[in-house]
Amino acid sequence: MTTSRRAAAIAIAGAAAFALIASGCAASGGGGASEDGEITLSITTFGTMGVDANYEKYMEENPNITIEATNLEGGGAARDDAYAKIAAGTGLSDVVAIEEGWLGTIQEVSGSFVDLRDYGIEDVKDDWLDWKYKQGTDADGRVIGAGLDIGPQGICYRGDLFAAAGLPSERGEVAEYFGGADATWERFYEVGEEYVAASGKAFYHSPRFFWNSFVNQQEEGYYKKDGETLNIEGNDVLKDQLAMIVEAENDGLGAGLPGWDVGPEAKEDKYATYMCPSWMLGIVQGYYDAGTTDSGWDFADVLPGGSANWGGAFLGVSEASEHKEEAAKLALWLAAPAQQAASFELAGPFPSTVEGQELVKDSTSAFFNNAPVGEIFAARSEGVIAQVKGPEDSNIQDNVFGPIFDRVSQGEITDGDTAWKEAVKLLNQLVG
Amino acid sequence: MTTTLGARAPSTLTFTQKLSRLDYKASPYLYIAPFFILFALIGVFPIIYTLNVSLYDWHLLKGQGDFVGLDNYASVLADPFFWNAFGNTISIFLLSAIPQLIFATVIAAVLDQAIRARTFWRMSILLPYIVAPVAVAVIFLQIFNQYHGPIAGLLELFGLDPIRWSFDVFPSHVAIASMVNWRWTGYNALILLAAMQAIPRDVYESAALDGATKARRFWSITIPMIRPTLIFVVITSTIGGLQIFTEPKLFDGRTYGGGDKQFQTIVLYLYELAFPRRDFGRASATAWILFIIIILAGLINFAISRAIRTGDAKPTRIPRVRPAALITPTRNGRRA
Repeated sequence: MTTSRRAAAIAIAGAAAFALIASGCAASGGGGASEDGEITLSITTFGTMGVDANYEKYMEENPNITIEATNLEGGGAARDDAYAKIAAGTGLSDVVAIEEGWLGTIQEVSGSFVDLRDYGIEDVKDDWLDWKYKQGTDADGRVIGAGLDIGPQGICYRGDLFAAAGLPSERGEVAEYFGGADATWERFYEVGEEYVAASGKAFYHSPRFFWNSFVNQQEEGYYKKDGETLNIEGNDVLKDQLAMIVEAENDGLGAGLPGWDVGPEAKEDKYATYMCPSWMLGIVQGYYDAGTTDSGWDFADVLPGGSANWGGAFLGVSEASEHKEEAAKLALWLAAPAQQAASFELAGPFPSTVEGQELVKDSTSAFFNNAPVGEIFAARSEGVIAQVKGPEDSNIQDNVFGPIFDRVSQGEITDGDTAWKEAVKLLNQLVG
Repeated sequence: MTTTLGARAPSTLTFTQKLSRLDYKASPYLYIAPFFILFALIGVFPIIYTLNVSLYDWHLLKGQGDFVGLDNYASVLADPFFWNAFGNTISIFLLSAIPQLIFATVIAAVLDQAIRARTFWRMSILLPYIVAPVAVAVIFLQIFNQYHGPIAGLLELFGLDPIRWSFDVFPSHVAIASMVNWRWTGYNALILLAAMQAIPRDVYESAALDGATKARRFWSITIPMIRPTLIFVVITSTIGGLQIFTEPKLFDGRTYGGGDKQFQTIVLYLYELAFPRRDFGRASATAWILFIIIILAGLINFAISRAIRTGDAKPTRIPRVRPAALITPTRNGRRA
């Protein structure tokens, strides 16, 4: 390390510490070992990943290991936290959860994470879905992330509200009503109009979720396949979908709510559907008291426009870890089929291993009206393509289209052309 | 070598005497050294280093790139988001600083009176300052919830439309400013109170004998006599206000100042550039631009306060008591 790199590290560490103090997060310490072989491994996760379901068991099986876990509230917080610590060259947990949305950025500095091939990941390579394993591999063939969950999507809906509006409410019928295997976005909005007309209430909470699902469905999303060329300006597929969403919002399909924290509104019956990637199940359930089974929520095996994957995490091991061997062992264990299945049972993120999926195939969710969630997600993950994400993917999602949908929801933009022009304007201001 | 101590030939000094002389000369510097060492480490060095970073194309994760001179400054100044953040910062600053100072002065004046349980009241006004900003945010987010907050309920009661606290620009600034005011009014009031306490009571008494009303005494005695402290409070509030970060960040934790950047302040803009957008060079340039803005604001404050002083017909001959100076160190980087 040259002097200027060191100085940079110090300065950035200072900035990172400032950021942490400012945002009120507790910094998690690195691992430390005492003489008798006791090892503390730190792990940072985010959202409802359900990984915590397995910590106790691991510590029981490995009495010399203590797991010190930090769970950050959202993917954005986890991303900023990881970036700051990578930049500082210090402070990263031994095991770090990485989201698909910013994996592309992490790949640019993949040297910050160990090559899991050195710790035997190749022996269990066939456990994972091909594309998931590939996503965790960088351009040089180093495997920097052990796949945890994937995000196949179905539609969460309120069976009770659907019934009250005279729509089918049984999940098989609902899926058919949306068009089953041939479901289209047009049909989705049509059903929405029916619901709004019959109930006088909004159909969905925010267009952001539907938009993201749509983008993830495309062969190429915000970026071309090379992961470098932007794929937005002049993209009529995206433009048409945006226009359709603006139309739906004008028709009162949306509840005009912000993207995420809408638990109270769910309870007040303000909307009836939610686009549900697997990890979203835990979030919806989290709005209600533990053990709730009569919320009215159900889960249908359908996605307008066909299958899509949205999100999913990886576990990486910090190159700066003092216990790489043990940390890698823990990461691989947490990402192994049996543990993925346990995480799924706890919080809903769908396993990315074939055997893990097999283990949860009979699983049902009492919260979602006993929906056979294991079976539905398995069906929903068929035909998923792993879209190439570019370095600014999450920035575009949050800062280009996010504000547009807020303005559309609040009635400040009412035609598709304007929405698109504004989006392109924002894009050129932010990514250029 | 003209002091009595130095006049002696060094050779005649014993070891103990030498040591005691060294102690006499060096100790004061050692006593004050910790502050300067700390200041150099966490104050001066980062400022200079930031200047260095701001001149390079510097990626957060990949590190130093090419030297680009002032390009980062130019691109920040040409960025509409910077000016949006600048406008928001000034707006939130004015919405917080002005009511804050007025209320603080009034509260201080009330507490300066002979009231019962004085200590209790004085302690109470500092209470909001002790509460962690995160807790403050939790409380205020409830109050300013567009759909479920008490204000929303009240408006509904009167059949009015809900205020879109987190979506519309001005309401969001009001909400954030109210968090700042809640937290800092009592703090400033205590500083002003300390200044008021230092005003000799006989000045009031003679004014009262001359027939001056309470209001007249407040305007003609209290305000002029606490002016140095007022200026101090104004300057520190300005620095704090321009650096505002915590409140708008907590107002919507998932974004960097609102989905549409309705309440993105300069420091939030800087944070967004540095972390999610990973452009450390431009973030550093923003930090320096903010630094310059703060210095300019300080100079303007200074000029205004001088103008007020010279505009005053009767030059005051009151001893300039500055009790607030005792509190100065803790004011550094407030709200950061």
